[in-house]
Amino acid sequence: MEIEVILNGTKEKVPVDTTISQLLVLENERDKHVVVELNNKYVFLQKYETTVVSDGDRIEFINPDFGG
Amino acid sequence: MKEMNITDPEQPLSSLSEDELLRYHRQIIIPQIGEEGQRKIKGAGVFVAGVGGLGSISAYYLAAAGIGRLRIVDRDRVEAGNLNRQIMHWTNDIGAYKVDSASEKLSKLNHYCHIESIQGEMREDNIVELIGDCSIIVDATDNLETRKFLNRASLQKGIPFIYGGVDRFNGMISTFVPGETACFECIFPGAAGEKRPIGIIGPTPGIIASLQALEAVKIILGLEGILKGRLLFFSGTDMTFREIRIDKNPECRICNTVAIKE
Repeated sequence: MEIEVILNGTKEKVPVDTTISQLLVLENERDKHVVVELNNKYVFLQKYETTVVSDGDRIEFINPDFGG
Repeated sequence: MKEMNITDPEQPLSSLSEDELLRYHRQIIIPQIGEEGQRKIKGAGVFVAGVGGLGSISAYYLAAAGIGRLRIVDRDRVEAGNLNRQIMHWTNDIGAYKVDSASEKLSKLNHYCHIESIQGEMREDNIVELIGDCSIIVDATDNLETRKFLNRASLQKGIPFIYGGVDRFNGMISTFVPGETACFECIFPGAAGEKRPIGIIGPTPGIIASLQALEAVKIILGLEGILKGRLLFFSGTDMTFREIRIDKNPECRICNTVAIKE
């Protein structure tokens, strides 16, 4: 069974009980230390494994290596 | 808001000359500023970490606003590739140290603002000394590593750190206040990625650094509504601002171990 989330601005279908960690793997972002935003709230690194996304959630991966 | 003692409580606030009253008139007539607020601005010392894309703008607006003392640090010389966004520096500045170019412009802009320019690198072992007795840190660096040094110095000194960063059409800003908010490394704990030139269109640092300067002035004045516990993300791609709520990370290895100066 699948749910629909908005990932980096695009609607995507993912399996029920998908975690942030699994999304990072799906998006090939696991090793890039991206900042994860879930419904306008920051997700701590230690919560990636246990935070499960829900239908309609909006998830953004933000590159922390910004310049100046 | 908790009083942050941005100006030295031991020192009486300087008075304003007739010329200064005229120069800052359009600020002074703002009810939340007034003459007393302008004197607070004059009594403040602000550390601007870098005079590139962000620092060109934040330092300029802070000097124009009448900050009494502005300390700017940068190690680099002006290059042609800087000029699309680092508008402090002009074509005839190519080859000059950025701090020299900036110091010249800022002094001409406002001779009441004392500019302390330091040409050199910001490192973990010298950052606290470089910041000295400045009471606000404005981030205008271009990399994660130096931002972490600034964060730790902010925690050690117990002074606010106004973070800003830009990438292509996007930017973000937040204010970290030791003892009150998350720290920079609560939300950016990872190591820096691979070194790469970051594409930046000039107005993006202009927007973010303008907000940083505004944030600094509001902190000096003790006004409400600063970006504490909020990361403001600007997308120039679709012209939107959105706010990300950030809490202190109970497992942060930095702000849970660095002794915060009360």
